[in-house]
Order: sequence, then C-alpha cells, then structure tokens
Amino acid sequence: MSDEMPQLTRFERRELDVQLTYADDSEYSVTYDDLRHSCPCAKCSPMRNEDESSKTLRRQVEALPKEKPKVRIVGNYALGFEWTQGCSSGIFRFERIWDLANRRDPDNGKPYVHGAW
Amino acid sequence: MTESYSIESCLERWVEVEPVGARHMSDSPVSTHDPKAPVESADPSPQEQKKMEQAYAQMKRKMSMQEIGKKIKHKVMVLSGKGGVGKSTVSTGLALSLAQQGLSVGILDIDITGPNVPKMMGLDGRRLHVESGRIHPAQGHLGVKVISMAFLLDNEDTPVVWRGPIKLGAIQQFIGDVEWGDLDYLIIDFPPGTSDEPLTVAQSLPDIDGMVIVTTPQDVALLDSRKSITFSESLKVPVLGVVENMSGYTVSGKAAPGTEIEIAAPAGKTLKTTSDDEGNFSVTLDIFKEGGGKSTAEEFGVPFLGALPFDPGFVRGGDDGVHRIVSEPEGPSAVAFAGVVSALQEQIVDGDSVGLEII
Repeated sequence: MSDEMPQLTRFERRELDVQLTYADDSEYSVTYDDLRHSCPCAKCSPMRNEDESSKTLRRQVEALPKEKPKVRIVGNYALGFEWTQGCSSGIFRFERIWDLANRRDPDNGKPYVHGAW
Repeated sequence: MTESYSIESCLERWVEVEPVGARHMSDSPVSTHDPKAPVESADPSPQEQKKMEQAYAQMKRKMSMQEIGKKIKHKVMVLSGKGGVGKSTVSTGLALSLAQQGLSVGILDIDITGPNVPKMMGLDGRRLHVESGRIHPAQGHLGVKVISMAFLLDNEDTPVVWRGPIKLGAIQQFIGDVEWGDLDYLIIDFPPGTSDEPLTVAQSLPDIDGMVIVTTPQDVALLDSRKSITFSESLKVPVLGVVENMSGYTVSGKAAPGTEIEIAAPAGKTLKTTSDDEGNFSVTLDIFKEGGGKSTAEEFGVPFLGALPFDPGFVRGGDDGVHRIVSEPEGPSAVAFAGVVSALQEQIVDGDSVGLEII
C-alpha cells in the first residue's frame, strides 16, 4: 500500500499524538506510544519479533513520560525523533509512518533479523 | 629496507601536533583549581605554559571545525563493513562525477594506515603546502581537492603504526587545520569497519548529510554492510544509500551477424546471446551474485543508489592515477557513476525542500 502514499505535508505534534496531513488533504493521527513502539532501530525491532517481548516493549514505552519529540528530517525519505527518555535511534521512513497512520503493521509481519551480529 | 614510522617521526611532519592522550583536561567541565591553595607564582611554569598552549590550540581547532563545517555545503561519509569492496574507487568516482557537474569537491582520505586515494587521483608523491599554520589540500583531476595521510609518508611501503588516540588527533587535524575553502561536497573515505574513524568524524564535523555504504553482492560483504547500516543508527547519521560495486562484468565481442553464442558463466550457468546485424554481442556475467545490494537496502529500509559494473579499467586507472571517469567520461562506468550520484543528490536535500511543515 505504501506505493500509493501521498506526500506528507504537515506534522503537527499534539499532547499525546501527532496529526499527519498528506498532500491529498487526508488526515491521520498516530499516538506517540505507537510511534515509539514501532521504532525501527536494531535494539527495539527484535523486541517486536515475539508477542511477549513486544508486550514488554509496549509497557516500557507506555511507562515513559508523555512528551512531544524533537523532529528532524533525514535525507528526503525519513524522519527521526528525539525524546528526552527512551530510544531516539530509529529512522522512520515516510512509508513506515504511512503504515502506522493506516493502522498497518509497519514491519509487514516480518521478524527482524540482525544482519550485524 | 622496511622501517616503521614512530608516532613522533610522523607527527613531527604535521603542524601543531599533539597526541590527544597527552591533552590535559581542556575539555573537562570540572575545575581542578583550589581557591584556598597558596599562590606560588604569577608566572606559569614552562610545563603549565605548554598545557595552556595545547588547550588553546585544541579550542582553536574546535572552532575551526565548526567554521569549516559551515563552508562545506554537503559532507558524505563513504563506508563499508568489509575491506576490498572498492570504497576508495567509489569515493574518488563520486567526487569526480560530482566535479564533472561543475561542483567544487574535496576528498578526505581518513584511511590513516592504508591511504590510497592520492594514487588513484594521480597525486602520488605530492607534498602538501602549509601556510600560516593552515594546510592546503593537493588538487587532483577536475580540481578535486585531496587530503590524505599518504602525503605525509616518505615511503609508501612504510606502515603507520598508531594507536586509537593518536589516529584521533590526526583525524581532528585533517578536519580542523585544513584550508578547504568553499566546497559543495566533501567526500570522506574511511577504512573498512565500524571503529574509531567514523565515530571521530561524526563527532567532530557538524551537519554530516549521511553515509554511503559500499558493498559487493557476495554474502560476506552484505553481512558486513548490514553492520554498517546498523552502525549509522548508533551515530545518528542517516544512510543516504547502498551502492553495489563489482556488480556484473560485461563481455563484448564480434561474430558473424546472427550467430548464437554460448558463454560459460559462474555457478555452472550458461548464458546465450545472438550477435546483432553488425556482428556485435555482449553478455553480462554476475561474477559474484546479483541484486544483493538492492535486497539489503530494501531489508533495512534505506535507499539503493545503484550498481557499478565490474570494470578492469578501474584497476588500471587506479594504478595509473587516471580514474575511469577521467579517461572515459562517456563510458559505461562513468554513466553508472552519474546514475549513483544523481540518486545520491536526490537524498541530499535541505529540510525545507521536502515540503514538510513541522509544528
């Protein structure tokens, strides 16, 4: 579905979630908890491989203070979020954010495999 | 006769050199000054004087690194997890291809122990010009500016045997004491792996645009490339994309028009082709495998910048100091590099041009 993704034009940080506006005027909201739980970094991703560890990650994320992140644009393909606590490593491709907006699994059901270690 | 360079002998050749390990708390936020201690003398001892001078030089270098960062529009790191994948060839190729567009480009060869960019750029044996304590880069083909450890070695057969902190000091001097001038692009060529060098550069040079990961299609190289991609997340430097080098070797030939030709390819495959009306034929052999770089990029969600052909001309060009892009600017390798550079430039954009409003 990411193929038909319109361009993200507005990223409004609200108290508990972010409102996304796309070029076709469609609007979506994604909670910060959902955003943080779907962090694509090499530390967070493997935790989503199993249901139990995924729930643990979720609980860890939900226990963090509610805050608006700093946002940085990465190249022309992604966003990075900086939080005062918790993981700030993940680089979120626009496709990933689009999947989250549409309540789809951004990992496409694939388990994360560490190529590195 | 082979001799090892001692730290001292190598660093003596550099300007205002001091090993980082020898610096004294210049970066520390903790004051060691005791206000109750008796004042022994108003004049500092020669040792204290030296420490102050070192701290001042370090502060000056840090400020200089910030200034240099502003003068260079785009900084691109070129990395690979594995050695021998053609990082320096890709670095020089990217620099030359950008310079072909009329841009002002520099290459910083950070491979302290195995510097070979100068040879590839036809700058073998060249010396650097130092004026008013500032080092001026050598200029290679198409006006590309080059800084490399190779310029400081008397003998290219002599190894540089330095531990991490000394390398770190040299790298900071490579960045802070060099008069690059205004550049559109600075390409930074690293040794293989994920160790001190990229870490030092990422922490010293502000606003790095990102890193290009060079790989070959073989599994071992791909495994290490994945490591580099994960490494980028630790450094918080975005991956601009993956380049697959040595992607395929094209065999061309001539036969009678319409002749069916069979060529034995790797992995027991047989490739078939038919010569055209003029008798020309060509077949591309995947010496390693094919598509590995692209699939790694897809797996990690980073852009794939393109594949570069296996071109023996790169080897000859590297040895002769005339890069393939210079000797054959319209050739297939130059065209492939232009494609990679175009994909790279698409990734390097100012935040505003993404057209995203962040509130």
